Amino acid sequence: MGRLLAVLATAIAIGFGLFTLFGLVTDHPVLAGPTQFFLQLVSITIAVTIIIGIFNLLTVHGGRVRRRGPGWGYSLILVISTLLIILLTILERAGVLNSSPALTTILLEQVQVAIESSLAGLLLFALVYGAYRTLRKRVSGWGLLFIVVLLVMLAGALPLANLAPVAALRDWLMTVPVSAGARGILLGIALATVVTGIRVLIGQDRSYRE
Amino acid sequence: MEARLLTILILVLAFAAITIGTQVIRRRRNAFPVRAIRAYEALIPMVGAAIEANRPVHMSAGSAGLGGESTVLALANAELFYRVAQQAAIGATSPYITTSDTTALPLAYDTLRRAYQSRGRIQNYRSNSVRWYPAGPRSLAFAALLTTSLGVNNVHSNVLVGSFGPELALIAEAAARRDQALIAASDQLEGQAVAYAMSDQPLIGEEIFAAGAYLGDEASYRAALVTQDLLRWLLIVGLVVSALASVNPDVREFLGNLLGTLAGGR
Repeated sequence: MGRLLAVLATAIAIGFGLFTLFGLVTDHPVLAGPTQFFLQLVSITIAVTIIIGIFNLLTVHGGRVRRRGPGWGYSLILVISTLLIILLTILERAGVLNSSPALTTILLEQVQVAIESSLAGLLLFALVYGAYRTLRKRVSGWGLLFIVVLLVMLAGALPLANLAPVAALRDWLMTVPVSAGARGILLGIALATVVTGIRVLIGQDRSYRE
Repeated sequence: MEARLLTILILVLAFAAITIGTQVIRRRRNAFPVRAIRAYEALIPMVGAAIEANRPVHMSAGSAGLGGESTVLALANAELFYRVAQQAAIGATSPYITTSDTTALPLAYDTLRRAYQSRGRIQNYRSNSVRWYPAGPRSLAFAALLTTSLGVNNVHSNVLVGSFGPELALIAEAAARRDQALIAASDQLEGQAVAYAMSDQPLIGEEIFAAGAYLGDEASYRAALVTQDLLRWLLIVGLVVSALASVNPDVREFLGNLLGTLAGGR
């Protein structure tokens, strides 16, 4: 019975996948309607997964608090914050809290965004550490090239007249090798995406068999 | 050439190459040898070291999820995580997966469950080994939570392969500070640059999608890899020819005639 259900699920997944693919690629009027309907179903499913996410967050961290596991204090703060925000949102939607701007918006903009901005400031130090680590762990030609290019890029960004040639070199690096390398990587990822997608669509993915 | 026609051509070519390649590789295992990728070579010993140390392996796909542009990436990550979890499942400490996209949660649950099932140790599978942390506007909240998580869970090794931006630097720095092993890659250019600089063994670009072929022995995964290489070479030839055509009028005229003949005109 389990095997039969697995085969059925696989057939449905492949059937819907191929139908949507044909609908999107051919843009045929007969296929367009069902294709759009399937894509709307995906949006609804994505909305449902947010509930799964909140449930996951509360069970994982609630469990850690109950067990007094390592870092349970952080988990406790996380659970309380989550429940508090959910409660505030419900009260706002019910019209009990009518502050303008909304309290949840204030919390998001004044707490969340401020903390994230300070973390963004820390990124520079993490990146410098990364450059140091590259040289310490792998003193290779590519590692040295990476550091030289990094230094040229940083020096080229300085607003000093004496460094005009470095700025020109920086611009050339950005326009030619960096752009070419970036496109190469993106093209590689795009090709791999096409191939992996086809493999999944024709039922060769492991998840169909297990 | 019309874009739609080109899309159909690529899809048909990929489909044909995978189907034929799978049959050929099933008959002749070593028909298409693959080049060594150090990150995949280092992966299994890394997991072995984590088991010996009785510490968990942490896997994260970042913001890769189902239903959007990163759907296929999420599926490719699931295969990589399956292989890692399958190795780690024999240990006493469970590996765990983190994600910032809720759509990846069902996939992550299923991946871990199947990995334990394949080892006959389904009783050791814990659903709290899959953890969702909200991303925040720039994924920095997710990165901040992971930096704490790495210390709290006493992680041994990290496999951060998926969709990460520059915030990957914060996680990688936290891992390095705690002397934890790291294999990282991202489909975003900023994240990929950080991954190259900071991981012990970097994966680059399309190598993310090759886990099945390198860590398993199934013909279909290797056929997909061969197809990927075939399409890449075709693309390179196309780029070289179009570059030549842009500077040389004779090549341009020849190509125009050739395409006209193929299209049935002129």
